Amino acid sequence: MFKKILIANRGEIALRVIQTCKDMGIKTVAVFSEADKNARHRFEADQSVCIGPADPGLSYLNMDLIIKTAKKIRAQAIHPGYGFLSENHKFAEKCRDAGLVFIGPSPKVIQEMGDKLTARQIMIDAKVPVIPGLSGKEYTLTDMKKKAEEMGYPVLIKASAGGGGKGIRIVNAEEEMKEAMEAASREAINAFGDGRVYLEKFFTRARHIEFQILADQEGNTIHLLERECSIQRRHQKIIEETPSTAVDSVLRKKMGNTACAAAKAAGYTNAGTVEFLLDNHGSYYFLEMNTRLQVEHPITELVTGIDLVRQQILVAAGNPLTLSQEDVSARGHAIECRIYAEDPENNFFPSPGTITCYEEPSGPGIRNDSGVYAGCAVPVEYDPILSKLSVHAETRDQAIAKMIKALKSYIVLGVRAPMDFLGDVLDSRSFRKGEVFTDFIDTHFSLWTPLMPSKDLACLAFIADEINTRPVPAMERPGASNLNSPFHTLGNWRL
Amino acid sequence: MEYQLKIKEKTYTVDLELDAEDQAYAMINDTSYELGVYRVSDHQIQMTVNGDQVNAWVEKQADGKTIIIEGQRYFIQDLAAQEMGNSSRGRESSQPQEPTTVTPPMPAIVIQVPVVVGDIVLKGDIVAIVSAMKMETSLKAPFDGKIAEIRVGEGDKVMPGDILVDIEKQPHTFIEEQRN
Repeated sequence: MFKKILIANRGEIALRVIQTCKDMGIKTVAVFSEADKNARHRFEADQSVCIGPADPGLSYLNMDLIIKTAKKIRAQAIHPGYGFLSENHKFAEKCRDAGLVFIGPSPKVIQEMGDKLTARQIMIDAKVPVIPGLSGKEYTLTDMKKKAEEMGYPVLIKASAGGGGKGIRIVNAEEEMKEAMEAASREAINAFGDGRVYLEKFFTRARHIEFQILADQEGNTIHLLERECSIQRRHQKIIEETPSTAVDSVLRKKMGNTACAAAKAAGYTNAGTVEFLLDNHGSYYFLEMNTRLQVEHPITELVTGIDLVRQQILVAAGNPLTLSQEDVSARGHAIECRIYAEDPENNFFPSPGTITCYEEPSGPGIRNDSGVYAGCAVPVEYDPILSKLSVHAETRDQAIAKMIKALKSYIVLGVRAPMDFLGDVLDSRSFRKGEVFTDFIDTHFSLWTPLMPSKDLACLAFIADEINTRPVPAMERPGASNLNSPFHTLGNWRL
Repeated sequence: MEYQLKIKEKTYTVDLELDAEDQAYAMINDTSYELGVYRVSDHQIQMTVNGDQVNAWVEKQADGKTIIIEGQRYFIQDLAAQEMGNSSRGRESSQPQEPTTVTPPMPAIVIQVPVVVGDIVLKGDIVAIVSAMKMETSLKAPFDGKIAEIRVGEGDKVMPGDILVDIEKQPHTFIEEQRN
């Protein structure tokens, strides 16, 4: 087993990986940019190394520097998390060439699945159903327009190298095609360094269902059931749950088998995710395969009791899977909400800044994978995710109630965070009935404004804050004990 | 003591009778409240309102306070304090002028400025593309006009309020002439 792992990422996911490494007795190395010198992930690791300026291109995406750092600090493996270099086959290759284990699938698989056009072809060859669209390698604006005309608008322009909602544009009419192609292409060049785009039919009323895959180096491939990820804004998931209300045991078995077949066709090893679009007639289509740990992996962990990061590390170290498909069963219902620094009242614009007050929810069945704290900065350079709040309960109704309660007790000040919005989505009749589709937010919540049911109380709070300005002595604060730590002896202080 | 508090577009008049620093009676639109105040931290106050405990979280901002109660956010402004502020600091916020500049909606990085000084733009034309946290946003010309000045370059870090591009407003006839 590895003695030391470098985590080539930041924020909540770097912390998530560090947690399991600690459970397994593996030493951890964090890397951080100058913008992240006060980020939590670097404090929690056994060692941490600054790898350059805030610009991700010079730090978190700097392959050679990260590999050099790993070698210098004598790490044996690199965990890429999600985003950044996690789906960069060149990085996986460079790791291998440097004698480091890249915790993920082989460079070839990453390359083939990362190139959405190649992945499509592999799935077509393996008889996995794919979304109608423009396959093949040569495509011009005219080709795109012709095919879109043939299939009917709206269509999707997707970056071949894209992912995580980046490099996707909906095209409703021919005249929007040019700008959509350029915008998707430019976004993809900035995010992934590859601007090729392709065309897919856009399903206005479909579900996004994905299956978690685990595969070892001996070719054993199992799935860890589905995740329903239909609630999205800007093509980025914000609420995920498992099991899906649209998947019964027959469909689950069928889709699970297809997912395993897709992973096998790809030659997949380690943890990965096969994403499907499920239409309202029960037909499903391969969307893409994510060759990394998924943001929403906690809900699978909650219902199956399997630590996916541990499985990733075990497989990467060459261990065969000890789990068989029959060993995998789910109990109860899990929901995850992504907590981004963003403003739901203003088109979900990112809201970077400094967190001035931060209180996390806790309690039975509540898990919060967070990377921030009161006083820390949310830099403009990176993805605005603050944390992933997950709950686990016996039934879906109980999980919804638990999540609504958790969101209410999750306090973030200094940056805007969308707990109020997420709470309203969960509390809506359509969500409670399980009628979730990828157009859910646009259909039901495009004109959302906060309800603000207790304006009188808010006015009272405003005044209460004015009239009681007495500073709180440190010793009188809840939870304060008689310790001689600076936290207690310094009196009032601010970060 | 009377407070004039504004939430969104609505004003709430609060009549307050202060008993002590932590005890008060308040009247808001014919509803009376017995208020107890216990400060837990700089940001947290536990109120007792007619006997029920209510946790409130408060953040002071330059132009008001954000309050969180039961997961709901309220942005509240004190009208009296605002008027005092306005008389000394000018009246920018109360008398909005038609924008003549292009400024980002959030802290961002400039990706592209597809115009040059002297260009004629129509309302809605893209004059700058910025990116925040990997999301791109196009900033559009707020009216027809001529690019007077470009104050940023690609890769610059910019904040809301920063002026990226100056557009000199031009009458429609002038634009027509220039375009023809």
